[in-house]
Amino acid sequence: MSADLPLLPLEKATDSDAMLVERTVAGDQKAYELLVIKYQRRIQRLIGRMVRDVDLVEDIAQETFIRAYRALAQFRGEAQFYTWLYRIAVNTAKKALMDLKRDPTVSENAFKSGQSEESDETSPLENELTSSETPDAVLASKEIAEIINAAMEALPEELRQAITLREIEGLSYEEISEAMDCPIGTVRSRIFRAREAISQKVKPLLENQSGKRW
Amino acid sequence: MNPTNSKNIMKPSMQTSELMSALADGQLGGEDFAAALHASRHDDSALACWDTYHLIGDALRSAHGARGANPAFLSRLNQRLAQEASPAAAPRPVQPAVQDLPAALPDHRGQAANDGEFRWKLVAGFASLAAVSAIAWNAAGLLTPAAAPQLAQAPSSPTSAQQVVVVASPQGPVVRDARLEELLAAHKQLGGTSALQEPSGFLRNATFETPRNAAR
Repeated sequence: MSADLPLLPLEKATDSDAMLVERTVAGDQKAYELLVIKYQRRIQRLIGRMVRDVDLVEDIAQETFIRAYRALAQFRGEAQFYTWLYRIAVNTAKKALMDLKRDPTVSENAFKSGQSEESDETSPLENELTSSETPDAVLASKEIAEIINAAMEALPEELRQAITLREIEGLSYEEISEAMDCPIGTVRSRIFRAREAISQKVKPLLENQSGKRW
Repeated sequence: MNPTNSKNIMKPSMQTSELMSALADGQLGGEDFAAALHASRHDDSALACWDTYHLIGDALRSAHGARGANPAFLSRLNQRLAQEASPAAAPRPVQPAVQDLPAALPDHRGQAANDGEFRWKLVAGFASLAAVSAIAWNAAGLLTPAAAPQLAQAPSSPTSAQQVVVVASPQGPVVRDARLEELLAAHKQLGGTSALQEPSGFLRNATFETPRNAAR
């Protein structure tokens, strides 16, 4: 974990994860879809560091989410949902590599180089583009990053500060409220407005890249 | 923030995108959480907001940006999930008497990351119990004289009390144990008493008498 990319405390996000898991187990498949949308990028990036094959990455990611869905009733909530999903993804990828007669040890070591298991989702190494990504995908990612960064720069100071404290520093609404000396409702509103402003800039690009998304 | 407190913060009149933003931060509970789920079921824009907001977060935390979610991936996954049984109805590896348990009890049948730690705690507990039992066993043995081994006890002789002798002494006749008398007789050369009434065996006597012839 690098010093300039601090770990995002996930206890807040985990609250909603746990609630979505609970709803899924209760039979609400849409709740699981929200979890898939949330973690799809990270899981594919994670697998992409083990498997140098674009098509295989997607297949393993599919299998990961299916396995997680089947085992969801056994998820105790003692660990974070992403940590639990992470292990399933790694095991699924290793099994796929063994089935393909490839050496999973080599692939996992390559994946683990410099990355601890607990550094999960905000690890800069995990966030690095994997060699399994096509040049088009690399270019798309860079374009999205540029637009988001430009949109951040254009935000009013209080909106930029609020979303920075939340998304990069990982502060809770209460902590942001204290830091910015404003009510929690204002924090929620500022973060939402910041996201909306950035979203308006990035949506056209997303639709250009993959058509109408939903 | 505790989701249960979120009702104090979140207004029920929030628009869908605002609900999804708060849900992304784990700030929804109760009716607001249900409203967000309802929106995600019936409003595609809710899913789009959910994805975009997480994309923004991923991109801000990454040095290399992030890609938009792949709708084809989700579509394919949903087709597979439709063929799956609900997680609650899926067969589980262990089937204890679930019907005897209250429905509200959490499921504890999976493999926990800290199971190994609990096993060691169990072993340590048994070891402690064994040590305490051993100490208690020994202590109980010491506290009951009847059970204690008679290692230094002299053989009791019912006749010894009757083997007494009467010895004449300057203070008059003294009744003594016959065995003591035998012991004193056997060690007579070491016995005797001094003028200080101390056993002479422990004293060094020195005489200062000079031969009478020498004095003359």
